[in-house]
Amino acid sequence: MAVDVRSQFEEEPSAIHPDRVKRSPRLRAAFGRLAPLAVLIALLAALGSFAPSFLSLYSLRVLAGESSAILLLAIGQTLVILLGGIDLSMGALASLASVLIAIALPKAGALGLLGVLALTMLIGAGQGFVNAKAQIASFVVTLAGLGLWSGAALTIAHTTIPVSEGYEAVGWLKGRIFGVPNAFAFSVATLLALAAALRWLPFGRHVYAIGLGEVAAILSGIHVARVKVLAYALSGLFAGLTGMLMVARTYSGNPTIADSLLLPSIAAVVVGGTAITGGYGSLQRTLVGALTIAVLRVGIAVVGLDPAYEPIAYGVLVAGGVALTIDRSKTGIVK
Amino acid sequence: MTEPVLRVENLSKGFPGLQALDGVSIEINSHEVVGLIGENGAGKSTLLKVLAGLYPADQGRILLRGRETSFRSVAAAADAGIGLVFQEQSLLPNVSVAENILLGYEGEAVRFGLYDWRSLYRLAAVQLDKLGSKIPPDAATQSLSFADRQIVEFAKVLAIEERTRHEPVILLDEPTSVLESEEVDRIIALIKRLRERASVVFVSHRLDEVLRVSDRVYVMTNGRCVAERDPRHCDVAELQQLMLGRELSIAYDNRSARPSAAPDNVRLRVRDLSQAGRYEGISFDLRGGEVLGLAGVQGSGRDALCRTLFGAESADSGQFLIDGAFVRFENPADAVEAGVGYVPAERRVEGIIGGLSVKENMTLAHLREVMRGPFIDPRREGNLAARWIDRLRIKTPSPKTPTGNLSGGNQQKVVLTKWLIAKDLKILVLDHPMRGLDVGAKAEIFTLIHDLARSGIGILLIADTLEELIALSDTIVVMRDGRISGRFQSSEPPTQLQILERMV
Repeated sequence: MAVDVRSQFEEEPSAIHPDRVKRSPRLRAAFGRLAPLAVLIALLAALGSFAPSFLSLYSLRVLAGESSAILLLAIGQTLVILLGGIDLSMGALASLASVLIAIALPKAGALGLLGVLALTMLIGAGQGFVNAKAQIASFVVTLAGLGLWSGAALTIAHTTIPVSEGYEAVGWLKGRIFGVPNAFAFSVATLLALAAALRWLPFGRHVYAIGLGEVAAILSGIHVARVKVLAYALSGLFAGLTGMLMVARTYSGNPTIADSLLLPSIAAVVVGGTAITGGYGSLQRTLVGALTIAVLRVGIAVVGLDPAYEPIAYGVLVAGGVALTIDRSKTGIVK
Repeated sequence: MTEPVLRVENLSKGFPGLQALDGVSIEINSHEVVGLIGENGAGKSTLLKVLAGLYPADQGRILLRGRETSFRSVAAAADAGIGLVFQEQSLLPNVSVAENILLGYEGEAVRFGLYDWRSLYRLAAVQLDKLGSKIPPDAATQSLSFADRQIVEFAKVLAIEERTRHEPVILLDEPTSVLESEEVDRIIALIKRLRERASVVFVSHRLDEVLRVSDRVYVMTNGRCVAERDPRHCDVAELQQLMLGRELSIAYDNRSARPSAAPDNVRLRVRDLSQAGRYEGISFDLRGGEVLGLAGVQGSGRDALCRTLFGAESADSGQFLIDGAFVRFENPADAVEAGVGYVPAERRVEGIIGGLSVKENMTLAHLREVMRGPFIDPRREGNLAARWIDRLRIKTPSPKTPTGNLSGGNQQKVVLTKWLIAKDLKILVLDHPMRGLDVGAKAEIFTLIHDLARSGIGILLIADTLEELIALSDTIVVMRDGRISGRFQSSEPPTQLQILERMV
């Protein structure tokens, strides 16, 4: 009978799951909202007590730098997940971007960089267009994209391409502002700008509306396809920005450099408490999630565990984070 | 007197911002059909869901055959002999009737982990026989009509009987709300049949049905049980009055209060509109201030026509003009841009977005009205929402409440507001605007439609019943097999029979 239950909760004047344990609903909601932050703080505290040097200015700086790439990817991913989709192509696209940027910088400098970013945005928009117009699931479109962009990157560059000239166009990301790595400051600044856009621009409202009820959104006259294309274009752009960051960090482009960042970036979104089913969540939550993932990465090294445990930790965190933070009454059936 | 099968004592259940049940006490006797009525939000559905184990009660006792019980799940309630037939059907469309009926309780029909289809069909047939139904157990569920699926739901609940040695208590949550009248008769007959094997609680908004089928009627308002009546000494008017706590002031026939539409002001002109396989050669005019009712059975093309006028489907040939200008809609967004609003029949999926707040739903189609430059202005949005909540008397704890938490009638008011906030609304297409609403909410929506028409909007209406259609419409256009088969003016209102003759 479990499947029957879902529709029953929608009209009923309750937003709560029929939990058998009596708990104040308001408390419960607050718990759900704050759980990701609590996890982050607990993780920091645990690592701090294990290795006090971990909380030093230096290692926090390393931590911030470490989280920037994941954060950039997770920002784009958040938009797509809020729509109810997922973008599996982001890592591959970021790798491709790093290769293209490494090639473009010596030839065209900053202009070349902008060209590559525009191209990634266009690629993202294309994926969004196929998803929205051809009605192919985002999972499928972006999985195909993953193959395509990975293949393209490997075809263009079989191995690492060092940036011989024009590095200064991306070099500013290596600097610091008030002790904060520029890369991190840049990521957080874009996150805040986009968060403001989600809150105050119709685009943001429409993203949430589509994530929560696409049919009603269509019948309210929202240009659903347009919103989707824009969201995927932004996720493409953020993949491009991640590629740029990678070039800044390694002075080179590499056809697989960002591939391994896809899972942690999705984990960041989910651990932050954004519902994988769309409509619930925010970029602020993604910031918390990305920091959690970064702490975990660095923490594993600090504690001296085999780095092979890293993906295992992501897996546990994703499942655990979802279990802790998601409001099940709002997501209903799980597929 | 014998002990009632089910006794509910002083039951309470609260949700955030709402006390859904506030000390309800009822009794259900063996082989009795108990009617439960009340406005939307009165707590009927919540009561059923507590009884069926979907929600835990905050306070109070449930005694089943004299023993205090509380169920932790629907399965536990079913094992004790209480079954709920949901308001929305809950069958799996892609499997057979028999699988649905025995889902989760296949018992001897499963051998070595595999279905033994013969005994599965036999066991299912036992349940269907109880209802005298001829539905083949191996039929694909999705191929059945809505009414037949309802029978399968009943059979599924009756299967409880075999698992408990007692006769079951069956809870029916508005089993007839979306059925056409001849199908309703079948369901009513079935409920009478159920009485021979079970005790039944019957929730419905159709008071005449409740009177026809029930042995006793409880009236609920605001989470309390306010009256108990014997249907033999009671009529619909009295029940309505009890439900509302006041005389029902709005009768259906107040057409005289409405000024007739100005003949020169044609808001929508449809000419020779056709869509292959759906409708053909449709022409009519809709004037400002006019309510044009579209009559027709399912498949007559009226729904497709409405969706075309809103841009959700496109016509193959023909044209339509709004305020004298040719329009062509690629999608609903174009229609909204042109000043058309659409209140869909599937309110909870197509009308509202349950997870968005009341104010966000209100401004969804016309965000421009609350924007300052390129930004949404939260203050203007809040003010606008507060104004409309006040104006339409929408019952909500706050404008920020998720719309899914409101009752059906209040949700519908939110959907209407979505279009009403537009400054230049020209045409409003209402697709079953009163579906699933109770008497009080219907009366309010009814008045609202009248007021809207008076403001000069052209209204295209598909109604749930002919009675509603006749009461609301100035002009009635009847469709049959995709063509217009009759037209009536309110100056000489047609009878239901006259319309029906042209429909079939």
